[in-house]
Amino acid sequence: MTAYPTRAPRWKRVLDSDRSYRLLTFAVFAAVWEVYGTFWGGLLIPTFTETAAAFADLLRTAAFWDALWVSNQALLLGFACAVAVGVPLGVLLGRFRLLERLTDVYLNILLVTPMAAIIPLLIMSVGFGLLSRVILVALFAVVMVVVNVRTGVRQVDPGLIQMARSFGASERQLWRDVLIPGALPAIMTGIRLGLGRAVTGMVIVELLMVSLALGGLILQFRGTFNAAGLYAVIAAVLIESLLLIALAQRLERLIAPWASTHQQGKARR
Amino acid sequence: MIEISGLRKTFTGQDGAPVQALGGVDLTVRDDEFLTVLGPSGCGKTTMLKMIAGLQTWDAGEITVGGRPVRGPGPDRSMVFQNFALLPWATVLDNVAFGLRLKGVGKAERTERARDLIAKVGLAGFESKRPGELSGGMQQRVGIARALAVEPQVLLMDEPFGAVDEQTRRLLQEELLAIWEANRLTVVFITHSMEEAVLLGDRVVLMSARPGQIAEIVDVPLDRPRSSDVGGLERSREYVEITAHLWDRLRDMHEEHRAAPSEQAVR
Ligand SMILES: Nc1ncnc2c1ncn2[C@@H]1O[C@H](COP(=O)(O)OP(=O)(O)OP(=O)(O)O)[C@@H](O)[C@H]1O
Ligand SMILES: [Mg+2]
Repeated sequence: MTAYPTRAPRWKRVLDSDRSYRLLTFAVFAAVWEVYGTFWGGLLIPTFTETAAAFADLLRTAAFWDALWVSNQALLLGFACAVAVGVPLGVLLGRFRLLERLTDVYLNILLVTPMAAIIPLLIMSVGFGLLSRVILVALFAVVMVVVNVRTGVRQVDPGLIQMARSFGASERQLWRDVLIPGALPAIMTGIRLGLGRAVTGMVIVELLMVSLALGGLILQFRGTFNAAGLYAVIAAVLIESLLLIALAQRLERLIAPWASTHQQGKARR
Repeated sequence: MIEISGLRKTFTGQDGAPVQALGGVDLTVRDDEFLTVLGPSGCGKTTMLKMIAGLQTWDAGEITVGGRPVRGPGPDRSMVFQNFALLPWATVLDNVAFGLRLKGVGKAERTERARDLIAKVGLAGFESKRPGELSGGMQQRVGIARALAVEPQVLLMDEPFGAVDEQTRRLLQEELLAIWEANRLTVVFITHSMEEAVLLGDRVVLMSARPGQIAEIVDVPLDRPRSSDVGGLERSREYVEITAHLWDRLRDMHEEHRAAPSEQAVR
């Protein structure tokens, strides 16, 4: 009727948001799961509602919270080590080509080796304790951090480096004012992806190496054919990862807010 | 102000073949002169400007600025870049104050000086915006303010208005003229546009195709200040004649290049 494009009505905008799409896909997923579980699931595949109930029960047991705590100890420590080692290492590799050439092989090995394969090796050398779990989590995460940070430092606009040099920047000033802030978005991405890998590492090590904590719970439920309980633990791990990733994303936007506006600016040009 | 003599440079191209970019350039830029440099693409204009800025080494010859030989970047020269080269994470204020910050000027002073220059280039009120939120023309105003903030004796500009649209470009030309006429300093300004070269320059340096050499230096006897009546100036006989002459020369260079491309490549 009108010639101008009008703003969509409120209900439309709400429906159109990311959140409502996510809710919708989740609802569809849950419904399909429920139907499948009810008619074809048998003993091994619980329905969605059974899983949800088991999840609620799980949250009420002390064993679950203990397991969560033990698992997260390894996650936190291992991930912190990965960041502490990975960020400086990535920065150095990004800036100095020679170093990169020397280490490239090892990084690639770390990238492609199925980490699970080195678990027996770890156990043989450091035993079953917290230390070996921490090391494994760190090994899982560190590659992602290093590779992303390296890329980030390398892709800092050479025009900016030249500009800084034309204004007489020293190497230290170049790092502080151009290289580090320029690489920050990629550093944050590396940290976020590394976090995802750290969670993987945490669960795998508990499943394969020492049946304890969350991984232990999974094995225990499997052993007793408690399918709903098994699914509930997996859901708990999923939810924790999602929360952690969301947190990392929030942090990313907080620390490097220009990254998104900058990209838009580039696209416009 | 700037003395360039016998400047030569040969790069090694990607295929390993030598590319002679500068084949012996001799040039004197006078104190407080606005010198524009025109030449076919790839003739070494950027290379020469980077050498004056101290960002690029050369094989033979010498450059002095204010009597001192150039051995690297220095506070007496600052550069304006074609693609602006603004820090995307820093505000307009921080971008303009960047050079001062590197020089160790205290925060209060550099903020004050940066605000001054931001106002001078017509960006008052945009101090806390980031480059991504500005148009190309506004971004280059920031680039100019940043270069002027360190109070250089020489301003080096490499096609500074090459990446903005025609209308913005004309506005920026007038603004640059006004700023320069109020506060003179030595400017070396590279451009692809004959009109721009004549409108802005006291003299226009014409460089020949690779290897870059000075082909001709054309005086532009148009009155100053020019910023007040750019339109009238563009209709003046001298303006029209000089631009026509420059185009004749440039067209000849392009045709020579087309006639003997293989010979060019060998040289
Ligand atoms: N770092 C480099 N390595 C190899 N060759 C180079 C390098 N820099 C410039 N050249 C070559 O030197 C020649 C002159 O380049 P320059 O950028 O100075 O030209 P220009 O006159 O600024 O060109 P344009 O008008 O297109 O900007 C070109 O042939 C270019 O390919
Ligand atoms: Mg150039």
